[in-house]
Amino acid sequence: MTTATLEPATAPARATAAPRLTFGRLLDAEWTKLRTVRSTVWTLTAFVTLSVGLTALICLAAAGELSAADNDEPVGAFVTWGLLFGQLAALVLGVLVASAEYSSGMIRTTLAAAPRRWPVLAAKTTVLTGLLLVLGTITSVASFLAGNYFLSREGIGLEISDPEALRALLGGGLYVAVLGAFGLGLGVLMRHTAGAVTVGIATIFVVGNLVNLVPGAFGEWLMKLMPGNAGSAIANVEQFNPELLEPWVGFAVFAGETALLLAVAGWLFARRDA
Amino acid sequence: MITADGLTKRYGDKTAVDAIDFTVRPGSVTGFLGPNGAGKSTTMRMVMGLDHPSRGSVTVNGRAYRDLPAPLHEVGALLEAKAIHGGRSAYNHLLWLAKSNGISRKRVDEVIGLVGLGEVARKRSGGFSLGMGQRLGIAAALLGDPGVLLFDEPVNGLDPEGIRWIRTLIRNLAAEGRTVFVSSHLMSEMALTADHLLVIGRGRILADTGMADFIARNSAAYVRVRSPHAAPLATALTGAGWAVSPGSDDDRTALRVEGATAKQIGDLAGAHGLYLHELTVVNASLEEAFMRLTADSVEYHARIDQPIPAGV
Ligand SMILES: Nc1ncnc2c1ncn2[C@@H]1O[C@H](COP(=O)(O)OP(=O)(O)O)[C@@H](O)[C@H]1O
Ligand SMILES: [Mg+2]
Repeated sequence: MTTATLEPATAPARATAAPRLTFGRLLDAEWTKLRTVRSTVWTLTAFVTLSVGLTALICLAAAGELSAADNDEPVGAFVTWGLLFGQLAALVLGVLVASAEYSSGMIRTTLAAAPRRWPVLAAKTTVLTGLLLVLGTITSVASFLAGNYFLSREGIGLEISDPEALRALLGGGLYVAVLGAFGLGLGVLMRHTAGAVTVGIATIFVVGNLVNLVPGAFGEWLMKLMPGNAGSAIANVEQFNPELLEPWVGFAVFAGETALLLAVAGWLFARRDA
Repeated sequence: MITADGLTKRYGDKTAVDAIDFTVRPGSVTGFLGPNGAGKSTTMRMVMGLDHPSRGSVTVNGRAYRDLPAPLHEVGALLEAKAIHGGRSAYNHLLWLAKSNGISRKRVDEVIGLVGLGEVARKRSGGFSLGMGQRLGIAAALLGDPGVLLFDEPVNGLDPEGIRWIRTLIRNLAAEGRTVFVSSHLMSEMALTADHLLVIGRGRILADTGMADFIARNSAAYVRVRSPHAAPLATALTGAGWAVSPGSDDDRTALRVEGATAKQIGDLAGAHGLYLHELTVVNASLEEAFMRLTADSVEYHARIDQPIPAGV
């Protein structure tokens, strides 16, 4: 072998810079990926618009009835109501962070740059949940302010400094962050956008309501433990459904379920061919 | 340097790569030649740590790909399938890649210039032509200034200018002392770019030889002979120490003679009083040699009764 001619390509001079893969660099790379595609902008715009807009609309429409003497609806369930629809966008964004890499084939570039797969998944999860936590909290606050404006006009406004209100505002961020991670787990698991979105919507929104039909204590617990039911209570000041788990307990259950999903997804990700 | 040791890949019960050993050395272009489905792309994906070997191992500079501290500084690859998100601009694609391995923005601009994508670097890569996409893939491969480069069928589908550009680039990279591993299913392409040849067929290495050596062995001429006395002529030629095989499947009068000149054959036939109807010197093409080498071994014995020419 001609080591003399090999030298320029692997010169020790360059080795002094000793570049290494660090988690910080993976985060930077994943953040760059996330902010440089339009689908991120679109899903996040949909998230904010739906959450704030629909909350304002329902509060405008319902404030009169809610302020009536014979009202038996929980007023606190209305001030972040739009999140019920906005959260779909968070789920979709989570799925896309993984599935778009497979549909485009870019996963091979990603793994050529960073061949160890658990750190790649961890970096994606961190960037996605960080972004959704911040944006989700801001969106919850904006929803609250918009909805509460109409409620206050009818004299039934809530105090934002109320501990339950503050919990719900931070909870909105926490819930959509974990929901995004749930979508990411499905995306890694299924490697297909439409499939993962369908399964995600079915699990969180459809099956969560259908299990109400299962009779007895078993059915009741199934309903309480379904990811969307368990997780979403933390994002509301009051619940429409009084059967749900306590907000923090429910959130812990949802976070645990999501961690389990990500663990299975990561295990497969590490073993499968890319 | 790339080293494979008993490298094997099975998909279900199909063996795509079958216990292959090879070494790809720096300072030259190693051509990885084989028909479609031979296992070239699978091998390259295993080098890159993308597909996990079923058995055996492959290392780059002595380490498994996943153990490289900063892979893009050591290995660059242009793989078969497009591995770029069409919604992102060329610049941003290279930017996130650079960030992952601690490469500067300056270098991003540099490789964009190097592959001539300056004009379109800020446009979404989804609208790129095949040639532009290929240039972006090459920019990504060169980003970390790696000493080892892999190109999987890099000229497929390109126009003549693009093909020439890639050939020159590949030659230059090797001339700079880098390890360059290029696959193709075309012998003619390899003859133009490779210094060393690794022939693969049905997941097995069929030849591992210098290009010059391969050409010398396989462009050797043979003589086609037709004679109404083919049988006694064949006996006489074999007796004189020359290799004789049937010259055609359907013409029993035709023979293929190796190692003898036309004059030697004519003289021998005359000495035995045998008539000749044809005496033609034929130069075997490299393409034909490659086809013979990679043809299914069963089919091979039935049709052409002669040993595999190179290596093995
Ligand atoms: N992911 C896969 N699943 C199943 N079979 C595969 C897969 N990838 C490749 N193969 C099979 O392995 C063989 C080798 O394929 P490949 O490496 O793509 O060959 P080449 O690149 O030389 O054309 C082919 O028969 C192909 O069908
Ligand atoms: Mg191939």
